[in-house]
Amino acid sequence: MAQYHGFIRLFIVSTRFYRLRASRARAHERRSTRIGACRLGRCPNVSTSASRLKTFAYVNVESAALYRDVMRTFMEAKERFSLHLRPHEVQAALSVSHRVIDDPPSIETALQQLCEWGNLERHPDTADVATVEEFYRPRFLYQLTPEGEAAEKAIAFYSDEILRSGELQTAALTDIVALLQELEGLGAETSPDEGRTHRTLSSLRSRFEELTSRAQAFIGSLQRSIDLHGAKVVEFLTYKETLINYLERFIGELRLATAEIATTLERIEAGGVERLLGMAAQRDLADAVAATDDDRTAAAARWRARWSGLRSWFIGRVDAPSQAEVLRSRARSAIPSLLSAIISINDRRVTRSDRVTDLRVLARWFAEADSDHDAHRLWRAAFALAPARHLRIDDATLDERESAPPVLPQTSWLDSPPLRIAPRLRRLGWHVHRGRPPNVIDRSSEKAMLRADAEAEAAQLATAQQRLATGGLTRLSELGVLNPVEFDVFLDLLGETLAMRVDRDDTVCTISSDGSLRITLRPTRDGSTAVIRSTIGRLSGPDHFITIEDVFAVPSPAVGDRTVGTLSSSYGREPVV
Amino acid sequence: MNTKHLTPTELAVTAERQRALRTLLRYPLLSASGSRSAEAGLVRRHAVWLRDWLARNPGWSLQVDSEVARLRKTPADLLDGTRPARDPLNNTDFTRRRYVIFCLALAALERSDRQTTLGKMANEVVGFAAADPALARTGIVFDLASHDQRRDLVHATRLLLELCVLVRVHGDEQQYLNSQGDVLYNVNRPALAAVLNIKRGPSTVVDTEFDARLSALVAEALPDTDDGRNRRLRSQLTRMLLDDPVVYYDALDPESLAYLNSQRAQLVRQIAEASGLIPEVRREGIAMVDDAGDVTDIGLPEEGTEGHLTLLLAEFLANHARREPGTPVAESTLYRHTARLAAEHRSHWRKSMTEPNAEVPATSETIDRLIALKLVRRVPSGVIPLPAVARYAVAAPDTDGAAGSRRPRRRRRREAR
Repeated sequence: MAQYHGFIRLFIVSTRFYRLRASRARAHERRSTRIGACRLGRCPNVSTSASRLKTFAYVNVESAALYRDVMRTFMEAKERFSLHLRPHEVQAALSVSHRVIDDPPSIETALQQLCEWGNLERHPDTADVATVEEFYRPRFLYQLTPEGEAAEKAIAFYSDEILRSGELQTAALTDIVALLQELEGLGAETSPDEGRTHRTLSSLRSRFEELTSRAQAFIGSLQRSIDLHGAKVVEFLTYKETLINYLERFIGELRLATAEIATTLERIEAGGVERLLGMAAQRDLADAVAATDDDRTAAAARWRARWSGLRSWFIGRVDAPSQAEVLRSRARSAIPSLLSAIISINDRRVTRSDRVTDLRVLARWFAEADSDHDAHRLWRAAFALAPARHLRIDDATLDERESAPPVLPQTSWLDSPPLRIAPRLRRLGWHVHRGRPPNVIDRSSEKAMLRADAEAEAAQLATAQQRLATGGLTRLSELGVLNPVEFDVFLDLLGETLAMRVDRDDTVCTISSDGSLRITLRPTRDGSTAVIRSTIGRLSGPDHFITIEDVFAVPSPAVGDRTVGTLSSSYGREPVV
Repeated sequence: MNTKHLTPTELAVTAERQRALRTLLRYPLLSASGSRSAEAGLVRRHAVWLRDWLARNPGWSLQVDSEVARLRKTPADLLDGTRPARDPLNNTDFTRRRYVIFCLALAALERSDRQTTLGKMANEVVGFAAADPALARTGIVFDLASHDQRRDLVHATRLLLELCVLVRVHGDEQQYLNSQGDVLYNVNRPALAAVLNIKRGPSTVVDTEFDARLSALVAEALPDTDDGRNRRLRSQLTRMLLDDPVVYYDALDPESLAYLNSQRAQLVRQIAEASGLIPEVRREGIAMVDDAGDVTDIGLPEEGTEGHLTLLLAEFLANHARREPGTPVAESTLYRHTARLAAEHRSHWRKSMTEPNAEVPATSETIDRLIALKLVRRVPSGVIPLPAVARYAVAAPDTDGAAGSRRPRRRRRREAR
């Protein structure tokens, strides 16, 4: 029987050995292809579809804490460069650092589950054992897979990012300026050093990414902080001071740095940046196992994208402001929200007690008032919104009081002159006529009368003009008596002529205002006075020779005494009415 | 101050300041975004001078910022119950219930965000009322289910709208009254913060007696030196002269009377210069009268039937005061007189005045107005006319078109006497 045992054991061991070797070889092969494939950008084991990534499954299951501790242990071990761990080593590490495990098998199941998810790999353990049970128990060595390592790193990064507070880094700005200047220097050389170019561009990229991500985190947390701190006044006030100083400093630095960076970027681009980017891309692929053309174009494209991102951050276009502008405006707009928080705190500080409680107590007081009259008193005392009230006075009384002697202050109201008011009232009534509208009134008789009057007047005027405009020379003193209409016409003509005269002894010839008569006036210079009589009065003045002619009449050949005769013969004739 | 020696610019500035002060006296709360934004702008322009003058003379604090201008017009006379809150649409006085709802609505607004609806306010008011057992003990109950209850809330909200504490965005209060809809408002927080004018929070006052509560609300601490006492007297007197129609000497305490007698001319002149009100100083008291009619809510004389009736009753009471000073007039006498007047002026007055028993409510209203204007005083046996009522005399009524064009109103600058 013992020989069978021996054969079986040999058989088991040998198969195990072969299996081990095969698995090791397979694992090695898998690993190398995987590494190579990953290097070249093709990873067959990572599903590119959007289905669940089992590698991350350990984060959200029930005993996620245990799994995370285990993975962390592996990561810590990796930092010490011990790549393989045995279960009992894991347990020891866990009990030292984090937790005490009640039953060892749970570690084993956890490790196994992690292997299934692809976070860990296991290999059979070939170390010597001490007891038989251990020999028969499946013993494995565990090791992080690349996926597991990447997942764990991602999660660690995630927690760090969340816990890390944002910052607005002015130091990063100065670094970026320095790096860009160095890059400009490199671009000016004919054959710049590839290594230096790559180093400069890489550090530029990392600094820039840090600046942007931290700034974003800061701005995002700004509003939350304001809301949070608004509760406690004293801390809020100190927070406000520091925040405003911080923002001011950053905004100032950003403005200066942006201007400088923008000019440097433009100078670099003028000098040709493609060359530098190409060199950096080439250097990226220098350590690749087998770099294809696709890889090179991809790398170049990546660098170009990073450069354009950097550029657009600092230099904006017409329709799209640069990201620096956006950051600045967001930082600036944090200040008004800060101020409104302060205002609300201030309002709450007006009274020592909470305003809502005050208003409720006031409501109770109103309810407990005895009457409406008391309620009105409380209203006036508590709210003071009632308008003032005064007696009125009108302008008439004010005028009276100004003109009258002033009322002494000792006079009683009963004895002083009162305000006399005639209250304006509307007579009750009927401003609207009811019924049919009235007919149009016939005014033809009145119109006829007016027309007759106008015609009569015109006829009078024509006769007067005719009588005066004889065309002959005459003295004013010999004009005779004129009726009122003639007198008016005569005065008009005289006025016209005298107005035109400049010198006393001039002869003036002018035309009347309606243009139908021509008048010539010459002073006689013999010192005599003329008196012109009319039925309404007498006009006297120095004598003149006057000739009145009708402008439109045909000039008659005979002039002279006939005019005098005509005028005197017209005296005594009744004027036409 | 002789106004003739001022330059035109100074005159214009003085006129503007007077107008600003008068606006504040009439509307103590002005919002920059409302129907009175122009006046608010005027007050802002002269804020420095106004604040200074108001602090020195009546001792009122003026709070002016870009959103709201608030004159904290603490009253001097706490016994005056003739200035109720009024519903701006119907001009009805507020009842106690409405005041309670107003306060609770303000409390609800304090807790709300930038916008609120009438329904939400109503729910909060109900919640406050239910949470306070003292309110239930006084018999005031809110469930806002019936039309009447909702109407009280709507009236309170209308007052808030007039004060520009709320701005209506969408909806109609009438629909809310009919339970058919809701109204959306924007809350104007600066105005909300400025509405309440108390030096001490009511929740810190433990008095239960009403008058003690009132005095606790408006109590100001001034130092107990001579100067402090004088300042208090001066500010009390200035407040009364600025806010009340007439200040009677026999209503003042001896200390104030002594101060007034010594400082009267200067005090009155200060007020007249700053506000443009014209002083009438008589043996019985001082009245600052308003010639433009914009500083007062009730005016006398006024137009219309009520105005005429008020004048006639004032004249009747004045004659009574001349004949029998100090004796009260029974109200029945006044009713009879009103009935006679209604019959006499039937053609001028409103038709409803000639109905039977119409004189009773009309006379009561008129007497209330006269009391509000401090022209009469109510006693158990009737009303006693106070001296200032004698300043009115009625000429024949000027019916429309009979007396020609109305004399244009013009502002005058008068030398104070």
